[in-house]
Amino acid sequence: MTGLMHWASREARISWGFAAPGLLLLVIVMGFPLAYACLLSVSSYTLLKPAILPLVGVDNFATMMASERFWNATWLTVKYSVVTVAVQFVVGLGIALMLNRVVRTKPIYFAILTIPMAMSPVSVALIWRMLLQPNLGIVNHLMETMGLPRLDWLGSPNLALWTMAFIDIWQQMSFVVLILAAGLASLPREPYEAAEVDGARGWQQFWFITLPMLRPVAAITVIIQLINEFRTYDLPYVLTKGGPGTSTEVLSFFAYRQAFLGLSINEGAAAAFVLLVIVLAMTVVFFALLEKRAKG
Amino acid sequence: MTLKRILLAAAGLGAMMAAVPAHADEIVLRALMEDVPETQIIESLLPDFEKETGIKVEFEKIGYGDMHDKLVSQLVSPQSYYNLLEVDFLWAGEFPAAGWLADLKPFIAKSNYDITPFIPSTLDLLGRTEESLQILPMYNYSMGLIYRTDLLQDPKLQEAFKAATGKELAVPKTLADYVEISKFMKANAGVAGAAMQGQRGDPNSMEFSNYLFAAGGNYLGDGKKVVLDSPEGKVAIDLYVDNIKNGAQQGALSATLDDTLRLMCSGKAFSMVTYWWMLPQVDNAEKCPDVAGKVALSVMPGGHGESGGWGWGIPKNVSPEEQEAAWKFIQWVQSKDVSVARALQGHAPVRADTYTDAKVLEKYPYYKEAQDIVATGKSFPIFAYSAQYEDVLGTSLSQAGGGEVTTEDALKAAHKGLEELLAK
Repeated sequence: MTGLMHWASREARISWGFAAPGLLLLVIVMGFPLAYACLLSVSSYTLLKPAILPLVGVDNFATMMASERFWNATWLTVKYSVVTVAVQFVVGLGIALMLNRVVRTKPIYFAILTIPMAMSPVSVALIWRMLLQPNLGIVNHLMETMGLPRLDWLGSPNLALWTMAFIDIWQQMSFVVLILAAGLASLPREPYEAAEVDGARGWQQFWFITLPMLRPVAAITVIIQLINEFRTYDLPYVLTKGGPGTSTEVLSFFAYRQAFLGLSINEGAAAAFVLLVIVLAMTVVFFALLEKRAKG
Repeated sequence: MTLKRILLAAAGLGAMMAAVPAHADEIVLRALMEDVPETQIIESLLPDFEKETGIKVEFEKIGYGDMHDKLVSQLVSPQSYYNLLEVDFLWAGEFPAAGWLADLKPFIAKSNYDITPFIPSTLDLLGRTEESLQILPMYNYSMGLIYRTDLLQDPKLQEAFKAATGKELAVPKTLADYVEISKFMKANAGVAGAAMQGQRGDPNSMEFSNYLFAAGGNYLGDGKKVVLDSPEGKVAIDLYVDNIKNGAQQGALSATLDDTLRLMCSGKAFSMVTYWWMLPQVDNAEKCPDVAGKVALSVMPGGHGESGGWGWGIPKNVSPEEQEAAWKFIQWVQSKDVSVARALQGHAPVRADTYTDAKVLEKYPYYKEAQDIVATGKSFPIFAYSAQYEDVLGTSLSQAGGGEVTTEDALKAAHKGLEELLAK
């Protein structure tokens, strides 16, 4: 027994030894910036007075919470993320299901689908900005030739956020499709064959077999995309600079504004930390629900 | 043995590199530049400087909106990648306050550089004090009105305008007249009355400043007291929002300088309140064949427009050799000869002797108007948080333009925002 314990602890030491370089790298790359951001968020560090001390406790958070613009940014971020991820998932799943039936030309579809994904969000935003230019852009020109009214895509406070969401969906959809298509391709054939013998129709197979079996992949896809959307920064930066008014000022843009325009790195770090906490909380709740459902 | 040799060789090489002092002619000057005609003009002359001094200069050209953050991240780092700085007057409060710039006075003294030809207002705009001079003027961007002469002289439009307003269709003398003509053009001439740059932030706050000064208002009064929320300020914001809603192009609230230039160039706008040096860009038969020969420049209706300018600075966080090389470049680029050579390509001078140069006036007679625009220009408030105030003011203007808040509330918010930032 003692020998076994000795062997196990030796095994554990070796395992830790092998894992140590990776863990150390993780601490340096992930842990240090996180801890530093946390420290900045409770400090008095600004670009004009770049000193951590004196520490100000939760003052930066309190200032931020008292700001109407912070709550506006938070609400916009939630609204934007939920809508973009929901549309990406529903439409993406539809496309993945269709692609699942394609056999011969599948690589061609996949190659086309990866194009938007391979483009940088800044390039995507610049291209769409030109396409949607109200006076000289091709989209309004085409709409006019079809007898439709010209729209002020990025200049209308009611439309700008949803235009941004559309562009985001256009770019991110490929990722969702590819992940879900991979998930669908990996599902076993036996349950479908059994269902066919039992006379289950297409939608019944989808609802009772495909969807439950796809749940882990779907959950991962949704959570990855939610995290991505919560961090959206490039699109509002290039397309609208948070405007018109504050209609596209999402949380990460708010944090940037505090840090680089307000020169208050401490307040920017506090906003970024709030963003991190929201994303972490969402991830934990999402996985807890998933686990509960799996057990149930 | 082999490893030992490699290590010895590396150590020897390192020691040699450390022992050899850096020469100016080995230094590469790197500057982050706004992608505007001024930069292209200087770029075309760079081979002369390189030939003269052996110092290579690299310009990284980007849009204005991205410059501030990119520069700040370099200036707060231990060593800046950019060793020559192009500094906007809006940062002339922030950069020196943060201690990021080297004082140019010792360089000026050492090289006996004569700064008297520089127009004094251009030096003041960039934060010159008795004690120090951290930014040397590069070019000015005072704003005025560029308008279409063909539309103004169109007999049908003249008749229709007279019938509608009882007034002659002529170059507007007041802000109210300008907005009235702009709205008329949109309704009757099949073009936008004004190509407006209403995107939140720098574009709309710069544009609005012209309306404010033209209406007789100001941001700061005596003793730096905020006076924005005034009857003149109210007139200015009302006319600004009226023009955004009824005179400007569709999409004005998201438009930037580039958008307005493209619109004006395509012949789809009557006017634009913009930087005076945009005239040669629009009045260019190659680039803008639809409007070339049909555009003119005037002082902002009301008599005063927004004044602005760029300057050269040298970061503190670069080596003394790089600083010397940067100063060599600044002296060269702002010398009389180079300034005239730049002006002959459309440069907006900061030296008085360039405006009065015979060759320059012969080629560009409108430099006389330009000098008036520069002389009558007023400045946006310059302090450590100018860039943030642009965002604060820009948000209020954008909200008013989009109908989210009233002009009264927008003006009050912009006034309060300025007070808060000045007290910060």
